[in-house]
Amino acid sequence: MSVRSRLLAAVAVGIAVSGCMASAPRPMIGLNQQLERAGSNREPALSDRWLAMISGRGGRERVLLLDLARQLPVPLPNLNRPDAQPLSVAVDNAGERLAVIRQLNDRTELVLYRRSIGSLERLPMQPPGVPSQVSLRADGRELAVQVSRDGLWQVDLIRLP
Amino acid sequence: MERNGRLSLILQQQPDGRMVPLRRIQGHEPHSSPSLSWNGRYLAALVQQGNQRLAVIEDRLSGRLHPLRLPGNPMAVKLTLAPDAQRLAIELIRDGRRQVQMFDLSNMLEPDKPAGSRISGAPR
Repeated sequence: MSVRSRLLAAVAVGIAVSGCMASAPRPMIGLNQQLERAGSNREPALSDRWLAMISGRGGRERVLLLDLARQLPVPLPNLNRPDAQPLSVAVDNAGERLAVIRQLNDRTELVLYRRSIGSLERLPMQPPGVPSQVSLRADGRELAVQVSRDGLWQVDLIRLP
Repeated sequence: MERNGRLSLILQQQPDGRMVPLRRIQGHEPHSSPSLSWNGRYLAALVQQGNQRLAVIEDRLSGRLHPLRLPGNPMAVKLTLAPDAQRLAIELIRDGRRQVQMFDLSNMLEPDKPAGSRISGAPR
């Protein structure tokens, strides 16, 4: 193969590669319009079927869980309360367990919510620390929590029964 | 983890704690907002490119890095990847307002399903 042929082949391969790389994420337009209408949203956490986030409207924020298959929010009884400020949220793949970090009565706490029974369980940090971010394994069996202790950021792994 | 004054992602295998190298996103610190697919094939994160925060996905199986160029070039704050890597949600700041936007990645990435999942169309 001549130098010219090799050069052309390289250019052709380059064009093909850049064509592959050009595949872009496709906005989910209908859902995004719905999210915009819901107000200001932050701290998204995604599983295959569920989107959890903190949604604000009228100066008050709450945890919102959207069923992506039906594109509708689902009720979260006993989770949101007017005197609590949610900071971070995570959801498992079944949409059954939500881990939430919230401020309540000048205390920052990590809670685990079970949607089917509407129960809320506080998970204490051991040793004590201030949680700031949480993520939940897709099977809902383990949490990773970013914790501040003595001026240091640490990550705790917490097994869940 | 902070390295040389910049936040850098590390990937640690559980439960043995072995560190797994992330070759494709090195050099684009500071990193933030890591998110893993089911089996850890894909790692999504925000990285620095010039003066911009850029959402990327590293495919640890193929070694490819997928930069996610978002319409309108908004400021990305946080991202989260669905466990099967077929969708992504990003928190953006647009016109001074925080928004969450969803993106379909099924034209870009193979699904990363949990072990034992039924493959659609497979013989029973």
